[in-house]
This record gives sequence, structure tokens and C-alpha cells, in this order.
Amino acid sequence: MANYSVGIFSHSSVSVPVKDKKLLEVKLGELPSWILMRDFSPSGIFGAFQRGYYRYYNKYINVKKGSISGITMVLACYVLFSYSFSYKHLKHERLRKYH
Amino acid sequence: METAQNSVPARSGSELRNAGQSWGQLGDATQVEGRVQNFHLARLVSGHLAPALTDFPIGVTGTLRLRPGLSLTMLSRVVLSAAATAAPSLKNAAFLGPGVLQATRTFHTGQPHLAPVPPLPEYGGKVRYGLIPEEFFQFLYPKTGVTGPYVLGTGLILYALSKEIYVISAETFTALSVLGVMVYGIKKYGPFVADFADKLNEQKLAQLEEAKQASIQHIQNAIDMEKSQQALVQKRHYLFDVQRNNIAMALEVTYRERLYRVYKEVKNRLDYHISVQNMMRRKEQEHMINWVEKHVVQSISTQQEKETIAKCIADLKLLAKKAQAQPVM
Repeated sequence: MANYSVGIFSHSSVSVPVKDKKLLEVKLGELPSWILMRDFSPSGIFGAFQRGYYRYYNKYINVKKGSISGITMVLACYVLFSYSFSYKHLKHERLRKYH
Repeated sequence: METAQNSVPARSGSELRNAGQSWGQLGDATQVEGRVQNFHLARLVSGHLAPALTDFPIGVTGTLRLRPGLSLTMLSRVVLSAAATAAPSLKNAAFLGPGVLQATRTFHTGQPHLAPVPPLPEYGGKVRYGLIPEEFFQFLYPKTGVTGPYVLGTGLILYALSKEIYVISAETFTALSVLGVMVYGIKKYGPFVADFADKLNEQKLAQLEEAKQASIQHIQNAIDMEKSQQALVQKRHYLFDVQRNNIAMALEVTYRERLYRVYKEVKNRLDYHISVQNMMRRKEQEHMINWVEKHVVQSISTQQEKETIAKCIADLKLLAKKAQAQPVM
């Protein structure tokens, strides 16, 4: 990664720059700047997908005694995803008009 | 500063000077400038590395005041400048260019952070009901306690149903039946499949372990053989003793053979001399006898011969008479 901070040459202050923070550690006020700083190039997006994939893979699948939940979570997300895509057509099969 | 940071190869001394000056903004313009002409021959080196070849480390480490985003190349530059101070001849040998660079760069200085490779974790992340990770429950626990996520789930489901975000249709019953079958199947045959997969894993591990053990055994055998051969070295002296004895015996035998041959030869020579002497004596004897006989025979005249013959006849007659007389008795 670019701008890898070498220990003996780091700044005297202790804080980490905004760019390197994880999403859960970013304060709400910094959120827009954090989003803008992310790498939105094709390789950056691909890298983000890759990282996400490997995070999930190494946590739930690449273990000695993996359980079915590694797969069912993916299937559940797929179900929800495809439901949201077909909601437009399903809207017409509602049982009541007013909710 | 950006031009110095990017690896644009310097093509002229003026560009180097510019690069040097851009670095000089950080503190040491005059010194860097003064040394640029030393590197007229170092054009091969890319612009941002040329100042590092000066043997003036403060010019580079003075950039401690830089922003924290320092690149790793800076570290190598410090190393290079430190090496240049240690060997001042490097400054004059700058025309070697990249060769010098490769000689002074240090590789593999960091700790290897994946050796040995960490083992696979035993279990994956915990998931409740096969759908929701445990972290979500832990996330809500401080604020809502144990029932929080369940209440949230129930509320969401009811909201989706009542507002018909989820529409109940024929598909719902299909989905419910499929879900039921899946849950039943997983509950009933899950452990069986898990055991089967574990057995496969174990087989793989056993194979690898066997290979490892075989390799270890093989190497152990090699070590033992090596040790035994080393022990044999201590017994070499037997071999040498036997050889020495054999050689001594062979020497003795040859010595005796030759001695015997010498004796035979000498005896032969002496026998020859003896036989020569004997022969000479015999020949002399015979010669003498022949000579004496010849002379004696010559000396006997004819008259003497007649007399002797007459005497012999007379003697014989006498003897005959004597002999005649005696046998009658």
C-alpha cells in the first residue's frame, strides 16, 4: 500500500491519519471525508471486493470445522438481494391496497 | 518534491541540480548543489536517488521533519548514505552507478511475519440460527440485553408483513416447505457429513504425516549409516596393520629368494672353477701317463723285446709244470 508509515520516521503525534481508519472507527463528522478519500478506481473497487471476500472466506469457510452457516449466510443474502430486485413485480400481488 | 519522489530518470546535470535543489528545500541546498558535478557520470541513477550517494547523511536524515508518510525508499536512501559515509571511496566510484546501488542495498532486513505459517483456526465465527453472526448480538447486548436482537427481529418481521414489504403469496409456502426440509436435513445429517469431511481431512493429514515420517526415517537412517561409517574410521588401523604385515612378509620372502639365488650363483661359479681345475688335473694326468707309456714303449728296443718274451715263455713253462704237479694232489 502506498504511504506505509515506517516506525522510526513516524510523526511525533500518536493519531493515525483518517485514510487508514476502519469504517467502525471513523467518527460521524469525518464520514464524508473518509468516503471521499477511498480509492474508487477500478482496481481499488476490485481490491475492496477481494478484501471483503477474503475476510468472509477466512472467517467462516477456511477453518478446520466449518459449519453450514458459512454457506447459509451467503444464500440468505442472495435471497434478500433477489427479493429486492423482484419487489417491483411482487408489489402487484399485495393482498391489501392500504396498509 | 513530487518530481523527486517519482522515479523520473535524470537526463542532464541541470535536472539533477533541480532535483538536488528540490531536496535542498528541506535544508541543505548548498551542499547538495556542490556535489552534483560529482555525479555527472551517475546519469544512469534515477534522479531521486542521486543525492543519496553524497556522503552527507544529514542531508537525507535531516528530513525527519517531513510528513509522516515517508516511503520505504527513504529508508534505503538512509542506508545508502550511511554506507557512503562508511566507504568514502564510493563517492568517487559513483560512475559504477547501479552496480554500487545493488551492492549497498540491504535485502530481507524485516522480520518475516508469516513464518511459520499460522495453523487454520479450529472453528469459524459463531453464527446463531445459521443466519446471524454472534457479533451482532454482542453489539446490541450492552444497550438492550439478551432479548434485544430477538425483539428487533420480531419487530422487523411484523413490520415487513404488515406493511407488505414482504408479500405473502404462493411462493411463501414453497419457501417455508423448502426451509423446513432444509432444517430437517441439516439437523439429521449434519453431524454425519461433518464426520465424513473430518475423516477426509484426517486422511489427508495422515498421508502428509506419513510422508513426513518417512522422510524423517530416511534421514535418520542416513545419519545412522554416516555415524557407523565414522565409527569405522576408528578401526582403520586393523586394515593398515594387516597390510603392513603382508608387506613385511613379502619383503622377507623376496629377500630370502634373492639370497638363495645369490648363493646358487656363487656356488655355480665356484663349482665351475673347481670343475675346471679337476679337468685340468685329469688332463695333465692322462697326458703324463700317455707320454710316459709312449716313451717306455719307445724305449723298449726289439732285442729287449725278444729277450723278455723268451723269459716269459720260460716262466710260463715253469709255472705250467708247477700247476700240473699240484692238481694231481
